[in-house]
Amino acid sequence: MVLPTSSARAHTAAESKFRLSYPLVSSRAVRVVALDAGAESTVRRVAELSWHAASFYAAEPSWNADGLEGGPFNFTLRELVGTPALLNDVLLGVDAVIMVATSDAGTKAAAAIGSACAIRGIMTAGIIFGGAASRMTVSALRPYAGVLVVSNDEYDLEAILSALRA
Amino acid sequence: MLREEINNLLTQTGPGTMMGDMFREYWLPALLTEELPENDCPPVRVKILSERLIAFRDSEGRYGLIDEFCAHRGVSLWFGRNEQNGLRCAYHGWKYDVTGQCVEVPSEPEKSSFCASVRLRSYPLVKIGDILWTYMGDPGKTPPLPEFEFCLVPSSQTFTSKRLEEANWLQALEGGIDSSHVSWLHSTGLKDDPLFKDTEGNRYNLGDFKPHFEVAEADGGLYIGARRNAEEGHYYWRITPWIMPSFTMVPPRGDHPMHGHFWIPIDDENCWVYTFDYQPVRELTPQEVQAMKDGYGVHSLNIPGTYIPVNNKSNDYLIDRDAQKRGESFSGVRGIAIQDASLQESMGPIVDRTKERLVTTDVGIIKARAKLRRAAIALREQGTTPPGVDPVHHRVRSASVVLPKDASFIDAIGDKLQVQPGVRQVTV
Repeated sequence: MVLPTSSARAHTAAESKFRLSYPLVSSRAVRVVALDAGAESTVRRVAELSWHAASFYAAEPSWNADGLEGGPFNFTLRELVGTPALLNDVLLGVDAVIMVATSDAGTKAAAAIGSACAIRGIMTAGIIFGGAASRMTVSALRPYAGVLVVSNDEYDLEAILSALRA
Repeated sequence: MLREEINNLLTQTGPGTMMGDMFREYWLPALLTEELPENDCPPVRVKILSERLIAFRDSEGRYGLIDEFCAHRGVSLWFGRNEQNGLRCAYHGWKYDVTGQCVEVPSEPEKSSFCASVRLRSYPLVKIGDILWTYMGDPGKTPPLPEFEFCLVPSSQTFTSKRLEEANWLQALEGGIDSSHVSWLHSTGLKDDPLFKDTEGNRYNLGDFKPHFEVAEADGGLYIGARRNAEEGHYYWRITPWIMPSFTMVPPRGDHPMHGHFWIPIDDENCWVYTFDYQPVRELTPQEVQAMKDGYGVHSLNIPGTYIPVNNKSNDYLIDRDAQKRGESFSGVRGIAIQDASLQESMGPIVDRTKERLVTTDVGIIKARAKLRRAAIALREQGTTPPGVDPVHHRVRSASVVLPKDASFIDAIGDKLQVQPGVRQVTV
């Protein structure tokens, strides 16, 4: 005999209260990297909100002017307070990296981050804020970001971090 | 995940709710024209945005959508008689016209003006294509009529069906935005469904199960591009437009008709799915139309005389475990539409989004929710008209195309994501 609770008919509002309830992993470790100066102001604003496991950085192209001779993990980012941070350390224990850009100035940083994340199996996403200039940025970031969002709404970074439980 | 208050904001569409107010800014599908096939035909109960209404077509072909219940004693007018330009309550004979105005109270003296003071709430009901559309908002803000291409092409080029989905509108809509499930849930349909099979695009779909997504702003909502590997140096793109609040188009496959959906809240736990197929420049073939009626493509086979799918929650969607085991069907459920419905309904009437674990590939859903929320707040706080109300926003098409790896899909085919009368869709 098939009881109502052992069929799809159990998917009612009343039956929902019998779903198992237990704490999920509370947060996911996410790193947000501003790839250029324009992106940094957005990242700084969002960084001031309350997050469980999100950390915020900026790319500093001048620090990596010589390329990536030591491999992508030796690429150096900057914490928003100014302290240098080696990409190798930034990516330890990370679930996802979100790169934020307003131009294609950060392509080298995106390449380093994308390559390092690919080696470690870390998901990457890119958010591009801006108008017509964003089209070039899309092409520049595409090889290094698993997903791309072209947005005219700064709130999107916040929405994505919240949705990911960062 | 979403906080509980945001989930409530997005999923509740009754009168006075923020999302309900936003839905009431749009012309919405209320029923199919086939439901009121002739003058003085039987009235139809319509529940939409948690309001119970009755639709009828009077002796002169005018459509009406009015409060379901008689002003006298609260009797349902569904039991009424549709006669001589009005719907007459079966209880005491009060009669209403298509505007909800009471035109006759038989118990009153002949020269009484009492009935002039009795008026049921009503909404306009307008036929465009195969759909009767209503606008349930402030009459002073009535927007121009919708201009979705599937409604405007000749009737021989378009087909629309409808089915009940026992789930909140948002989780159904999110299925239309989340194209990453296609390679899994619908994989076998690409091989054997008469409205999908035998296209070049299917080869790319089935050759790359890990699509990458790019989401771009559209005036009326979003474009969600999914790219898969194609020939050397190229990507195969499938581009889905979402027009707010609940219209999506599925990217086309070869010369098969283009299709898409509207998800319209009945109440907070059920929605109507209006599903259309059309060809911009040619007639649908009899074989195509028959396949749609038989529940192929994105349509459903319904219980005759209803819009309830034959394969539904009460019979476990007639899941075929043997077919699943044999590899003939990935989920064991027949048909694209019911494969979606079975899983979306299994989430419960309103899924608890505080518990979900989204990943970066869900970014289209995340952005759509953010846009809906922002638009509902802007409407409530500033009176801002939401995207998708302007008929210019309706003139979109989906597309499937192979492009060089460094091409932006917006740059490469942006103008072809707009309706171009007399021009074929972009499709692979």
